[in-house]
Amino acid sequence: MLPDLKAQSKWSWLIAAYLFLAGLGGGAYVTGAVAGFLGEQEWAGVAKIGVCLGFPCVAVGCIFLLVDLGSPAKFWRAGMRPNTSWVARGTIIITIFMILGAIHIIYGVWPSNTLVESIGVRHFLSILGILFAFGTMIYTGILLAASRPIAFWSTAMLPLLFLVSALSTGIMAVVLLASLAGTTHAGRIESLARFDMLLVILEMFVLAFYLQGTHRVPESRASARLVLCGSVARMFWWGVAVLGLTAPLLLDALGAFALEGGWSVFFAFLASACGITGGLFLRQVVLSGGIHAPLRAGRFEIALPIV
Amino acid sequence: MPRYGFVIDLKRCYGCYTCQVACKAANHTPKGIDWARCVPAETGSFPAALRQMVPLLCQQCADPECLKVCPTGATTQDENGIVHVDKDLCMGCKYCIMACPYGARQTVDEWETYFPDAEGTLDQYEAYAKAEWEEKSGYGIATKCDYCMDRVNEGREPACVEACPAKARYFGDLDDPESEVSILIRRERGFQLNPEFGTDPSCYYLPPR
Repeated sequence: MLPDLKAQSKWSWLIAAYLFLAGLGGGAYVTGAVAGFLGEQEWAGVAKIGVCLGFPCVAVGCIFLLVDLGSPAKFWRAGMRPNTSWVARGTIIITIFMILGAIHIIYGVWPSNTLVESIGVRHFLSILGILFAFGTMIYTGILLAASRPIAFWSTAMLPLLFLVSALSTGIMAVVLLASLAGTTHAGRIESLARFDMLLVILEMFVLAFYLQGTHRVPESRASARLVLCGSVARMFWWGVAVLGLTAPLLLDALGAFALEGGWSVFFAFLASACGITGGLFLRQVVLSGGIHAPLRAGRFEIALPIV
Repeated sequence: MPRYGFVIDLKRCYGCYTCQVACKAANHTPKGIDWARCVPAETGSFPAALRQMVPLLCQQCADPECLKVCPTGATTQDENGIVHVDKDLCMGCKYCIMACPYGARQTVDEWETYFPDAEGTLDQYEAYAKAEWEEKSGYGIATKCDYCMDRVNEGREPACVEACPAKARYFGDLDDPESEVSILIRRERGFQLNPEFGTDPSCYYLPPR
């Protein structure tokens, strides 16, 4: 008889917010940096928004992480053991990304700086920044995937899921801010929204495969039950499936194909607001679905007490 | 150097929770932390159902997950196999709690009194326990069983072994083939919990019957 397996409770909304913001910041930076490559004139505004979102979002995310630490004064020790620990490796990756992002904001985006004249330096900075932004986005998944007794997290699909979600929410964050400027960036917003629709569809598939992959062991089946029809189900179906995926897809499609001008921008704004909120719910759903493997002593299976 | 290990004889354990209480008394652990625990398990269904008490404690794995995932260097392993947390280095990220397959690591945020009716003042015994806990461990950081290394270094047995009235717990050197624990593991086919995680626990269980 399988014991009543309980989900972990030590990591909750603070960690979800950290994973979400680190992903969103990385995604927004990549959007901005790539937009910077696309064209000097028409994409410049979007590029600035994206690059300027990168560092602050990740930094705020790190503040959430700090608040969650039991002994925050020692946070600086987080990168001491990169040889074995993914938390340490991630800390280093995110720190480098934040430094690069801050440099990019100061020298590459603000006008009236000497470096802004040198396109070569800015592009070099962008490429380096994009690399570490990807590292940041993927790391948020690896952080959970490296926890071996929790089968729901310990899968290669999770970094992929978080990467796609991070890119998608990053683009949405850029669209959200760009749409506040009215129709100034309308053309770019439409392009971004169309590309984001592809990402949302991809995310749906990745999410479906991620959940499908839970059939292997009892603890991840219990996680899937918790997420699909248990106590987390409401957050999953309404927060992730409806608000985070279906709504942005439909709103973006309406805005991009059926409407024009101000309405198109407004629908992209709505889609982004929904999708970004859904991204936060996705992290929390994954966290609250984490169930440890039961202990097996001969024929007896025991749920881990107190986790 | 010995490799310290435990043998827990499941057919002797009758679930009196003495190990749990003895551990608490010896290590002054606060409410919410039990380094040694006794949990009930069931298998089968009527009329072939079985109940069994399973004592749990840190398995002091030879290849510990908690050591690998610790980002700060707070977790260390002695040559005798015992895994420690340095309270001055741990930042409380709780990753080891997620990574330990055996639920051996626990954390509390504050000292919660056992006697809430006492209106804010701890009696002298609880105040002593609190002070001891704060000296050796603390709040917000990961804590775990260290097989009572203080007592072992004085030549005594871990508190839970000494207290077990059923003599279901044995402590000794796994590297010495003639030690009591090694002989028991060989003779009675001792097994480790969840060997699939590849951590090679130093705690062995003898089959129920």
